[in-house]
Amino acid sequence: MRTWLAFLLPKDEYKRNRIIYFFAEGGILLFLSLIIMIVIHNFITLPVELVMLIAVVVFSFYVFGRYIFSGIEYADVATEKAYKKEIKNILVKTSIFLLLFFIGTIMIIGLPSSIHNWFDTLFLAILTGFLWFITSFVSLKRSYKKNKELL
Amino acid sequence: MKNNVKLARIKRSMTQQELADRVGVTRQTIGLIEKGEYNPSLKLCVAIAKELNKTLDELFWEVESD
Repeated sequence: MRTWLAFLLPKDEYKRNRIIYFFAEGGILLFLSLIIMIVIHNFITLPVELVMLIAVVVFSFYVFGRYIFSGIEYADVATEKAYKKEIKNILVKTSIFLLLFFIGTIMIIGLPSSIHNWFDTLFLAILTGFLWFITSFVSLKRSYKKNKELL
Repeated sequence: MKNNVKLARIKRSMTQQELADRVGVTRQTIGLIEKGEYNPSLKLCVAIAKELNKTLDELFWEVESD
């Protein structure tokens, strides 16, 4: 099927179908949240920034959350050996991400001028890296559990 | 949907991963098809049937018992 969405979709047909459903469900939730906000807007004036932020959060959190918890990301991890190898891969990827994020932050906002600013920059990098690791780990755990049941 | 994919695959001494690689899907997809938890597209059914040297009838046709 021809669609401009194809570049976002994986080759595997089961995974592709699931992701299309996640996008569709996310789109409907986004539509409903906008309707609710229109109704609320009749009683309370909502700041435009807040409405846009809620819309982005509803869609992206839903789609990303469903993807993580569906256990489809690591579709070929079914043995303990593969599971342990993938945990190591996640640790390496998280470390690289942390380093790049830290360097990127410094390049964009410049070198922190005080210890307090250094702490802020480091904290942001570590928090983002931690969230990256946790989401990858949960996704791997769910995938491994699902795959073991299918052997 | 019940099917005979697992049986046919084992008869050919093929692992889930091998079959998955040959038909261009993931091991998880093959596992789900074998368990009847995912109904594959006709294109994938044909690819699986070719790899397992079976007809679509032999792999996917549901026969009701009396």
